[in-house]
Amino acid sequence: MSLFFVLREGFGGLRHSRFSGFVATATVAISLILIGIFLIITVNLGKFVQFLRSRVELEVFLDDSFDEIKIQDLTDEIKRMEGVANLTFISKEMAIREFQNLFKDKQEDYFETLGYNPLPASFRVKLQDNYRTASGAEVVFKSLSSLEDIREEDIVYTREYLVILEKYIKFAIAIDFIVGIIVCLSALLLVSNNIRLIILSKNKIIETMKLVGATNFFIRTPLFIQGIVQGFLGGIISALFLYTLLKLAAIEIPGFISVDWRIYLLLANLGILLGFAGSFAAVRRYL
Amino acid sequence: MLKLHNLKMRYPNGDGLDGVNLEVRNGEFVYLVGPTGAGKTSVLKLIYMEEFPDEGYVLVDEYSSQDIRDKEIPYLRRKLGIIFQDFKLLEDRDVFENVAFVLRVTGARSRDIKKKTLRALGEVGLSHKSRKMPEELSGGEQQRVAIARAIVNEPFILLADEPTGNLDPKTAVEILSLLDKLNARGTAVLMATHNYELVNNTSKRIVSIKNGRTLN
Ligand SMILES: Nc1ncnc2c1ncn2[C@@H]1O[C@H](COP(=O)(O)OP(=O)(O)OP(=O)(O)O)[C@@H](O)[C@H]1O
Ligand SMILES: [Mg+2]
Repeated sequence: MSLFFVLREGFGGLRHSRFSGFVATATVAISLILIGIFLIITVNLGKFVQFLRSRVELEVFLDDSFDEIKIQDLTDEIKRMEGVANLTFISKEMAIREFQNLFKDKQEDYFETLGYNPLPASFRVKLQDNYRTASGAEVVFKSLSSLEDIREEDIVYTREYLVILEKYIKFAIAIDFIVGIIVCLSALLLVSNNIRLIILSKNKIIETMKLVGATNFFIRTPLFIQGIVQGFLGGIISALFLYTLLKLAAIEIPGFISVDWRIYLLLANLGILLGFAGSFAAVRRYL
Repeated sequence: MLKLHNLKMRYPNGDGLDGVNLEVRNGEFVYLVGPTGAGKTSVLKLIYMEEFPDEGYVLVDEYSSQDIRDKEIPYLRRKLGIIFQDFKLLEDRDVFENVAFVLRVTGARSRDIKKKTLRALGEVGLSHKSRKMPEELSGGEQQRVAIARAIVNEPFILLADEPTGNLDPKTAVEILSLLDKLNARGTAVLMATHNYELVNNTSKRIVSIKNGRTLN
């Protein structure tokens, strides 16, 4: 058996069946571009949601009468609470500085004229990942307000923001899910159509090979090689396309979309898989 | 040696063969003649074991339809040369490669491939067109390429299914005399046709087939 022939026939097949080869490669590329875009959107949506949620925090304002021991006790107690990731103590002085930073374009210094520091010290409480939701924040809110010397009105958090955020996140996930299904279905449709095309285009050569006494190995291997090469090419094309697309998009909206380079690797591999599956189906149909 | 014994075969739709007996000795030339739908193509398919009989058996040299394994079928087919009415050439490669294809897919050594291919093309008188593409050839020339492809592996028998069906009478006669020449060199030929005129005044053995039965 000549391995050389099998390879030559495989790569030669790419040259011989230029049109069907082109269609097969293009189909894989288009399917993968769709899948790639969907993946990028999903990943970035996830990151964006995480970013929004990471901003969720509760602020507990402290009475001026609390001394250091009291504050230390509260710190320990809050740290132990269910759902709390960490907390930062903001002293009265830090609160002033933040305020001044926030309004530093204003020339006057209100506090100078006021003569004393009206801002209270506070704890900023960050939540654990799975508590960064409306209901999760509510749980922590309840625990905080049950603390001795802390009243509900001393605790501030963006409850409405969370509720609205939650609603939009659910909506976005639902849309993403639907888009995902549509993308997968169209990719499936494209690829199965492609497989039919491959089957049709290989029908004659497989039939002839069988008639002249080629063994299954000799029939299969070149077709597999061809399918894999076409799939790989499709994968590379889709990766290049997406890369270019994202480069252009990044000029438009800098810093918004980020892409893990491994997605390109994934696309190339998926391409190989699709190409192989196509030739595998074609071979199964006729052997 | 080729032997078909009491073959019966049904396609799912009920058509098929209903008692086919036929023997072709080495070096013999036999016509299988019958009207359209008589079962000629089916008989040939049973010989190259694309189909299998429900009853009876086919013997091709050491291979029997009763106990051949799937893996052996390619090797059985290397003992046969098969040609069709529609030539079945691969359009994506030239004449030389169409013929060499058989040797390549059966794993011949590359230094034999060129020699054998050129010899086969010489036999059918097409050495000078070896680098032409099939579509650049006339029907008769295409059938000669198909014949070269069929003989390149030196089969003991040629199976020809209506090989002149697509050709004008003059070209048909040329193809027949080519088959004759190959037969004279020792290759057996089994040619199926519904063209009674073609076999009217032949000296070869004729086997008639009608409604899936061979007549004696
Ligand atoms: N694959 C098939 N499935 C079902 N029926 C078939 C199949 N192939 C042939 N037949 C039927 O079997 C019968 C014999 O067909 P076959 O092709 O062997 O005839 P034939 O003698 O070669 O005819 P022709 O001269 O037209 O080529 C016909 O009635 C045909 O319709
Ligand atoms: Mg027929």
